[in-house]
Amino acid sequence: MSKTVMIVDDSASIRQVVSIALKGAGYQVIEACDGQDGLAKVSGQRVHLIISDVNMPKMDGISFVKELKKIPETKFIPVIMLTTESMQAKKQEGQAAGARAWVVKPFQPEQMIAAVSKLIMS
Amino acid sequence: MNLDEALQTFIEESSDLLTQMEEALILSEQSEEISEIVNVLFRAAHTIKGSAGLFGFDHIVSFTHVVESLLDRVRTAELELTSDLIALLMYSRDHIADLLEDMTPEPGNVSDELREKGDRLVEQLKCHLGSDESMPTKPNEDTSVAPNRTNCDQRPVRSENWHISLRFAPDILKNGMEPFSFLRYLSTYGDIDHVCTVPDAIPSEEKMDPEISYLGYELSFKSRAERSAIDSTFDFIRDGSQIRLIPPHADISEYIELITILPESNERVAESIRKCGSLTQEECRTALSEIQRVSAADRTQVSRSDIEASPPAPKSNPSERNATTVAKNGENRFIRVDSVKLDRLIDLIGELIIAGASTSMVARKIGVAELRESTSILSRLVEEVRNTALNLRMVQIGTIFNRFQRVVRDVSQELGKDIELIVEGAETELDKTVVERIADPLMHLVRNAIDHGIEPFELRRDRGKPDKGTVRLGAYHESGSIVIEVEDDGGGLDRDVILAKAVEKGLVSEGQSMSDHEVFNLVFEAGFSTAKEVSNLSGRGVGMDVVRRNIVDLRGSVELSSRLGEGTSVKIRLPLTLAIIDGFLVGIGNATYVLPLDMVVECIELAAWNQEVGDDKRYLNLRGEVMPYLRLHEHFGISGKIGKQRNVVVLNYAGEKFGLVVEKLMGEFQTVIKPMGKMLEKVQGISGFTILGGGDVALVLDVPGLMRQIVLEHEREEDTVH
Repeated sequence: MSKTVMIVDDSASIRQVVSIALKGAGYQVIEACDGQDGLAKVSGQRVHLIISDVNMPKMDGISFVKELKKIPETKFIPVIMLTTESMQAKKQEGQAAGARAWVVKPFQPEQMIAAVSKLIMS
Repeated sequence: MNLDEALQTFIEESSDLLTQMEEALILSEQSEEISEIVNVLFRAAHTIKGSAGLFGFDHIVSFTHVVESLLDRVRTAELELTSDLIALLMYSRDHIADLLEDMTPEPGNVSDELREKGDRLVEQLKCHLGSDESMPTKPNEDTSVAPNRTNCDQRPVRSENWHISLRFAPDILKNGMEPFSFLRYLSTYGDIDHVCTVPDAIPSEEKMDPEISYLGYELSFKSRAERSAIDSTFDFIRDGSQIRLIPPHADISEYIELITILPESNERVAESIRKCGSLTQEECRTALSEIQRVSAADRTQVSRSDIEASPPAPKSNPSERNATTVAKNGENRFIRVDSVKLDRLIDLIGELIIAGASTSMVARKIGVAELRESTSILSRLVEEVRNTALNLRMVQIGTIFNRFQRVVRDVSQELGKDIELIVEGAETELDKTVVERIADPLMHLVRNAIDHGIEPFELRRDRGKPDKGTVRLGAYHESGSIVIEVEDDGGGLDRDVILAKAVEKGLVSEGQSMSDHEVFNLVFEAGFSTAKEVSNLSGRGVGMDVVRRNIVDLRGSVELSSRLGEGTSVKIRLPLTLAIIDGFLVGIGNATYVLPLDMVVECIELAAWNQEVGDDKRYLNLRGEVMPYLRLHEHFGISGKIGKQRNVVVLNYAGEKFGLVVEKLMGEFQTVIKPMGKMLEKVQGISGFTILGGGDVALVLDVPGLMRQIVLEHEREEDTVH
């Protein structure tokens, strides 16, 4: 059975590209546009990995990870955060919240696939 | 991978973000509380950069990166958002827009001009940034370089494999990391020859926590990959974990160091390394005896420096942590739909309405009460569906109003005028097509107001007005139309000047008596605008007559009122939507016509008491009111059998009433306007056609057009009389 990855980003184009890349690599993809949306969509289904942007409206990536860690069903889901070089402080905050994996924007779709396959076995 | 569709999303998304940036920049000039505004700016630049990188638009990434870095400094209050900086950011925003525009036809090919402009902007941006800002640093810095020991001679080991020693952080599982998937990923770079599990850390059963990782691994790994590549496998689990790589044929000192550092007893570690084949029995013994010798000699110096060679602990930085992001309020969730799909839906609903009407007609004819009842429920639902569908096309006019903030800002700066744009009713909704097509005429009117309307401030002072001029853009709904007003508190129009020019141009004859209103609206006449007036600002090759034509094409109207010395106001009236109207059916003989219902005021019988008044019988007496009228069958030259009965439909358009004489009144009819074909689209007085329930074609009458024709005819007759 193929694994399910959720991409949480407020940029539709990033979601689309990541989604195309992941589907191409054999994953199922769920898209969410911010932390709130992500929380709503992660419940009730098996999500194996979450890719989340940091800077998002409504609920940012850090709060999103904190929330995920509070829920027994979702606390073990690995999270890849999308970040940029200029966000060192955010990165530490994210690590404190429990997100250990990071992909630096701008990234190539292949880098994303590599990051995902480090974390979950397809 | 087909990214075309995603690219389209990227372009649309970026242009939205650029609009947000523009609005935020303008807002930042006016408001005190800018932290959320800066966040919006940062987020926009950040997202554009991120997405552009995904598509490989490196030139956009590198430019946006500088903008983003600068905004980040502003966000953390290291830089102040001065008006200079705002202006620079505005130019940068425009440059990003240009880059996106440039990319649209042929990606990656930046024109020299753009590149030069970009370089200049980057230079300026960097002035603000200071010197320490550079391009993104390389993420993969080798953090696990083992320091060379100098007290050992070079003694390379025999193993031609990498040796990898892993002690994962205890909380790795809690962070959602699966140790095995990293081991599996390693095989991207080579083959794992042997793995030796180190279970020493597992506590007794009752103390064991299933959520904690206790296992360590020693691996012999056959690979030709670079150290950085192999090392990158463990990027995500580096924190809190001990990960060590020893290259093939490394000096034995590296192994000695590894054995010393690892938490298990030296013998256990050496045994594991031997088991996985990285060290031979002989090398193992050498290493262990070496360790004993060193520790005996200098036990206290169990090199602190080696421990520090493991990745540095994250430095917490509480001051930067305060740079929290505030979620932007009022941000809704939207779905992007190709407008072609929407048009198709509306088209289909149009067909549905026609089909529904025909069903109702059949039901009425058959006369079965139940059928009639169910068709009436059906038509009600269809009407609701229609309204909902039309609503889908409705956008807030604010989307174009906000563009004008920028125009007003730029143009008034250029002219050295201080002008404020007040926007009212930005939330008023109307059809997207109408919004798009009204943008240019509005732009012209706004530019006109700034350029010709608002006086230089010396003159304003003399007239006792505030230095700052005001241009007001307003929109509101009024009886089935939307009204857009462009108002300025400038000099107003001079009746005499306009009249003189109109006479000169032959638009009116000298001595003709005209109301102020009529005079002012002469500016919309073709041929009124002269080259002399066309400045590079408001001119742009479009005269006021083009403005009016554009508006009339949208089935709208425009009128101007003005008071000398006090200001000018232009009022545009537009239908809410173009596709579907509530119509009113009238008939003459066999022909059926549709009138827009919102223009119908009342219907009366053409009887003796309201017969023509005036010498030339061109007016009707409507309860004492004189009203021009038109006999439709005469106007269209309809021959054939026409009944005796005559009715007058009183129409109101833009505050003027006029009567249309027809034979039959057939009631309300919801209808879809279909445009006339190319050959017939120039026919005056007709704006389209529709298909009736029975399959007949009915022409949709263009009321404003008919009104204009009446006026023209009257004028022509008057001319022949004079």
